[in-house]
Amino acid sequence: MKITGFRIEQYLMRMDRAIADCNLPGGVNLLPGAILFLETDENITGIALSAGAGMDSLFRFIEGADPREVCGLWVKMNDSLHKIGNRGITSFGLSAFDMALWDLKAKLEDAPLWRTLGAREGRVRAYASGLDYCLSDDELFAFYRRLAEQGVTAGKLKVGLDLEADMRRLGIMREALSVASKKPGLMIDANEYWSAKQAVRWISRMEQQYDLIWAEEPARRWDYHGLRQVSRQVKAGVATGENLHSVDDFYPLLANGATDVINVWTGHSGVTGCRQVANLALAHGVPVSMMNAQANYMAHVAAALPNHWMMEVVDPGREHCLRYDNRIEDGFIVLGNSPGWGVDVDLKKLKALQDNPPQGKGEFPFPRREGAGRYIVPPKPGEVPWRSGR
Amino acid sequence: MKLTGASTTLFRYPAPGRSSSRAGSLLELTTDEGMTGIAIGDADLRAPIAALFQDFLKGEDPRAAPGLWHRMQEAHPRAGRARAAIALIDVALWDLKARMNNEPLWKTLGGSRLAVNACASRADATPGARDAGAWFEDTKHRLGFRSGMLRSTGRRIDGHRLEQVRDALANGAGEPELGVDTGGTLAAAEVIRRVRTLEKRFDIAWIALGPPHASARGLRQVSDSVRAAACAGRGLCFPRDFHRHFQQRSIDLVQVDLRVNGITGALQLAEAAYGYELPVMLCAAPGNIHVHLAGAMPYVMNAEITEPAPPALYRTGVRIEDGRARPGKTPGTGITVDRAALARATVDRLSPRGKTARPRRKK
Repeated sequence: MKITGFRIEQYLMRMDRAIADCNLPGGVNLLPGAILFLETDENITGIALSAGAGMDSLFRFIEGADPREVCGLWVKMNDSLHKIGNRGITSFGLSAFDMALWDLKAKLEDAPLWRTLGAREGRVRAYASGLDYCLSDDELFAFYRRLAEQGVTAGKLKVGLDLEADMRRLGIMREALSVASKKPGLMIDANEYWSAKQAVRWISRMEQQYDLIWAEEPARRWDYHGLRQVSRQVKAGVATGENLHSVDDFYPLLANGATDVINVWTGHSGVTGCRQVANLALAHGVPVSMMNAQANYMAHVAAALPNHWMMEVVDPGREHCLRYDNRIEDGFIVLGNSPGWGVDVDLKKLKALQDNPPQGKGEFPFPRREGAGRYIVPPKPGEVPWRSGR
Repeated sequence: MKLTGASTTLFRYPAPGRSSSRAGSLLELTTDEGMTGIAIGDADLRAPIAALFQDFLKGEDPRAAPGLWHRMQEAHPRAGRARAAIALIDVALWDLKARMNNEPLWKTLGGSRLAVNACASRADATPGARDAGAWFEDTKHRLGFRSGMLRSTGRRIDGHRLEQVRDALANGAGEPELGVDTGGTLAAAEVIRRVRTLEKRFDIAWIALGPPHASARGLRQVSDSVRAAACAGRGLCFPRDFHRHFQQRSIDLVQVDLRVNGITGALQLAEAAYGYELPVMLCAAPGNIHVHLAGAMPYVMNAEITEPAPPALYRTGVRIEDGRARPGKTPGTGITVDRAALARATVDRLSPRGKTARPRRKK
């Protein structure tokens, strides 16, 4: 069994609804998509739902290799990035190959990836995360209520530019989740818009009314001092990590006690890298939380991590050319038994999307908003539907 | 597929070059589809294995080795007989999984078939042993070892023995790499005093401390006071025993001990260590199966070898050549048991101090 080739299919997906955070309150409903197909000499293909840069160059290190040797191949690819660094869009390429290799490894065992990774159950606790900064109050309620009706008992609200609105919308989210739990879990996410001290003041005022589990990205991704300060000075825990790329990025945060939860995802150098981060966190007694993924496919990895808490579910409707074997039930992502990721690409629908790219609005990924860390630039009139009386 | 049974066979065998015998146990996990996973241990763990099987394994899917490990180790996070039993079970589960895949273990773990640097390791006062120097010289000549570790059994580090090791491993190609493992015999301050004296004569690559002296503070003190790398991990359980070490960055070279961490815990520890590129040494495991793990771990320095060739009771497929160890290509851990020899060596119990109970034929 040898790896023989790869191809990347890129497309644009128009989601069923827009998503936003405080960096771009108006939101986007158009996302770039990529699918990596990793081919072998035995008619089995591994897939990943992402791609990166420099993949032709990285491919040299896995071409002709046995995909089952995925961890050894990770080291080879990582070593090749020694000078340029396993960072940014190059890192996404390594991640994509690693994910496709694990898909192959599981398919060769004829097992779902959660089983190949050794989980006892293909089941991961979910929390709802609207990426909801562009939703009206009613739309906000409807999203969290829909997930609460599927048993989800915790939610994470986007915040950052308007304390009064943030407080009101926390209440709306709590009310919506109340059908699933008398005391739903509440989290907030500021996407690094605040300085550490702004975060302390803002979160403290929220905490006069609400009990928050964690505040996500309340300060800069590298600022272990500031993140620790926030963690010490508010009741909520601090969660961070989504914008880091490999386990060595996490070392300063963990060594300095800067975070209470680590957000992990595919961008952390694939399944292999994600597991390294989770094990480093485990060594420091810190839990991890898997971030959202198209088709929830990273739930396979989350299921096998012993210190995994709950996984983010955004569910904006971005799987139009995919079929996938998992569902939300009783507040859990329940994974099926289809081999590998359990994700199939509908090639006809993919081609249709490529031939007729959808139209939409917004810029992704979100650029950093003016004023970040210093002053608040509120949404312009009409930019969001939830500002009242302005 | 479900796990249906766990059986343990105790045995004694004459150890090469020793007048006394060595003891061991063979664990076999069976399934409802007729496949068996095996692991070789060095203690009588029949009682904890039986209890763990009842509580955690009976009827479970054997492919969930990590999931089962996490549940069992939560109940037994610290060293002890139960923890050693969990570790042995974990090895047997991985052996089973690799056999189910018809793969050698290293492939199931996702590694490449890496040749890992081998470090010859011997206790300084092995009873009835030949002169330590002769053993090390033998490993150099036959197997190309360039690295040696002396394990202290008394409350001292024997400079004379260390010199024998160094001289035995020396060859034209350069100085051998030397390590000393003090086990739990010496506290940090004594280690520092002794090692600083020895470092006038020797270039010691690492100095290992063991429980109860392997504290984070002690190791930092050693690391800051001697040139050698402060080393620990033998007998330490991941993650519980490692929290302080990671927080204080007190270990310069971490020993990954399958005897208390199994394979699942060993892989986890190695991945955590990679978080700040902490080099890993794989502690010797029966049958040298630890060699299978090297290729799946991102930052392995070497693998300790205490028994270059296993006893006549079983074959391992692990080959040592030119100072490097390589796992074989047969399915699972590659251990094949000579059933007839095992039957002859089987005993009913291992006496408490591990002293000889003459092998009796199994009735």
